[in-house]
Amino acid sequence: MNASPAPTKRHWLRHETLLLLVLFAETTYFFYFARNFGTADNIRNIVRHSAEMGLLALAMMPVILTGGIDLSVGSLMGLCAVIFGVLTHDWHWSTLQAVAATLVAGMLAGGFNAALIAFLRLPPLIVTLGTFSLYRGLAEATTQGTKIYRSFDSDFLNLGDQHFFALPIQAWIFAFGALFFWVLVHRTTLGRSFRAIGFSPEGALYAGIPVGHRTALPYMLAGLTAAIAALLFTARLHQARADAGTGYELAAITAVVLGGTSIFGGIGSVHGTLIGIAAIAVLNNGIARVPGVLKAGVGGELASMLTGALLLIALAAPILTRFITRRRAT
Amino acid sequence: MKRYSRELTVAIALSALLVLLAIFAPHFFQPQPLLARLTAQVPVLVLTIGMAVVIISRQIDISVGSQFGVCAVVAGLMSAAGAPLGFALLTATLTGTAMGALNGFLVAWLGLPSIVVSLATMVTWAEVLRLFQQGRFINLPPRVQWFGFSQLVGQASLLFFALGLLGAMAYFLKNRTGGRHFYAVGSDSEAARLAGINPRGVTMLAFVLMGTLTGIAAFCNMVQSPQVDPKCGVGLEMKAIAAAVVGGVAVTGGRGGLWGAFFGLLLLATINPALTYMHVDAYWEKAIQGLVILLAVIADGLRTKRSAA
Repeated sequence: MNASPAPTKRHWLRHETLLLLVLFAETTYFFYFARNFGTADNIRNIVRHSAEMGLLALAMMPVILTGGIDLSVGSLMGLCAVIFGVLTHDWHWSTLQAVAATLVAGMLAGGFNAALIAFLRLPPLIVTLGTFSLYRGLAEATTQGTKIYRSFDSDFLNLGDQHFFALPIQAWIFAFGALFFWVLVHRTTLGRSFRAIGFSPEGALYAGIPVGHRTALPYMLAGLTAAIAALLFTARLHQARADAGTGYELAAITAVVLGGTSIFGGIGSVHGTLIGIAAIAVLNNGIARVPGVLKAGVGGELASMLTGALLLIALAAPILTRFITRRRAT
Repeated sequence: MKRYSRELTVAIALSALLVLLAIFAPHFFQPQPLLARLTAQVPVLVLTIGMAVVIISRQIDISVGSQFGVCAVVAGLMSAAGAPLGFALLTATLTGTAMGALNGFLVAWLGLPSIVVSLATMVTWAEVLRLFQQGRFINLPPRVQWFGFSQLVGQASLLFFALGLLGAMAYFLKNRTGGRHFYAVGSDSEAARLAGINPRGVTMLAFVLMGTLTGIAAFCNMVQSPQVDPKCGVGLEMKAIAAAVVGGVAVTGGRGGLWGAFFGLLLLATINPALTYMHVDAYWEKAIQGLVILLAVIADGLRTKRSAA
């Protein structure tokens, strides 16, 4: 690890350009071989369907940057969707009040993760594995596993269906999220401290960084983001249900790792994550439109399977290339 | 005494729960349902043994639920095609071993974090299975259930097998050099390496063992029913992890034992029927499982914090 900044920079440049090439190849393939892939309608469709996963990935990025992980975001989406459903239907709150309360609930749930991880110093993976089960379990217990809340305020449903300046509203929310996280990670001292903690928590502590608070923040933001994603999910499907966001944590982690963020923390960029999100969003949409897959109706299974395989390849690739280049050097 | 404090706590909690059940729901102890309930836990127990070894080596494997489903379908298809039971067991075990070896390779030789590796393999295997089987159940020939014997003989032989395996593995882990290596690598892999242990080999072995046991567990599950449900493995990883963690196997590695994990499993397995007898909805199972894991980890964290201070 005695590399000067220049080669590291070149390395990351290479990773992101490589990923862009993959994205380009993928898009070209689907453009020619998938049915109705390149239409303007479908592009809006991609954005609408992947905004939730994308937001979760953006929030996951700082968490992984600090060397942590949050497996509970998908389950928390389910819990937040159910909370919103209960507040609007059973408690008869106004939509605005319910939205505010859901956001607070998401932040509190993220704060619960944060408290256990940052202040009790428990390992993030087992804590969020526990809340992964707990949050989904609470959602299922509340709805008795079957109840689905339908019929919402039309202003709220517009969030999921309407356009604003030719783009779906989700696109604007996602763009705002991307800008927020980019500035947070790349242009603030907070972002620098996430990187420092991920690189070496001990070192960060001696450099005067309040490691506890700074580790807690990304988990709280992830909770808040999961609540936003839950609201978007509800508005898009016109349903609030306990199984909202199942498996989204995997897609989010994959997007982040694919985008060049080291799973060990300390290294990574938000723009890399954005390309990672795009690669997964395009894959999910395109694969279901390839004629053979379309006929068999297995697009969902195939896309999830490829996401899992892609994550393994993205994880193994940097280590294998390092291994090969080192061999060649000696 | 202090060394076994967690095992004792869990055993006391279990006894208290059983006493409560004896007072408020004595029909819990009717022999036939109780025996059925115990036998139903055999596959989870076999998984828990493997999971405890993996966690002791300071790793985790959340793909075992998916692996279990794949092994169950392989064994089911073999049996349905007319293969003898021994062959079904062999193929299931080999399938599990191969999947465990893949996890082990990625974790031990490429140095990737086990949580992310097994998250990826969990989804990949689950989707491969969904794609291949499309949720169809496999009908088994009648000679498969309870090995073709009476139900009582089948249940008894499964229980004996599971307890024998538990005893043997517990002895191996505590008293044999090979077993101590898992603890050494789990508590400090660099120190273990300097002491002449090959940490990569040991980590690999933990995952391979986990895979093998998953295959055996899937077989133990198959012989209990006339059908194979391709979704039978969903959520089992959480049960195994919860049992191990509740039973005092520390997620920070190198601490805990199989008897503790066994008591942890019994405790968790009793909570659910206890809830049913006390008229709490079964939908709370997942939430309670998560909560129990968190409580166990918090208890561990507080204990290490106190002993460090």
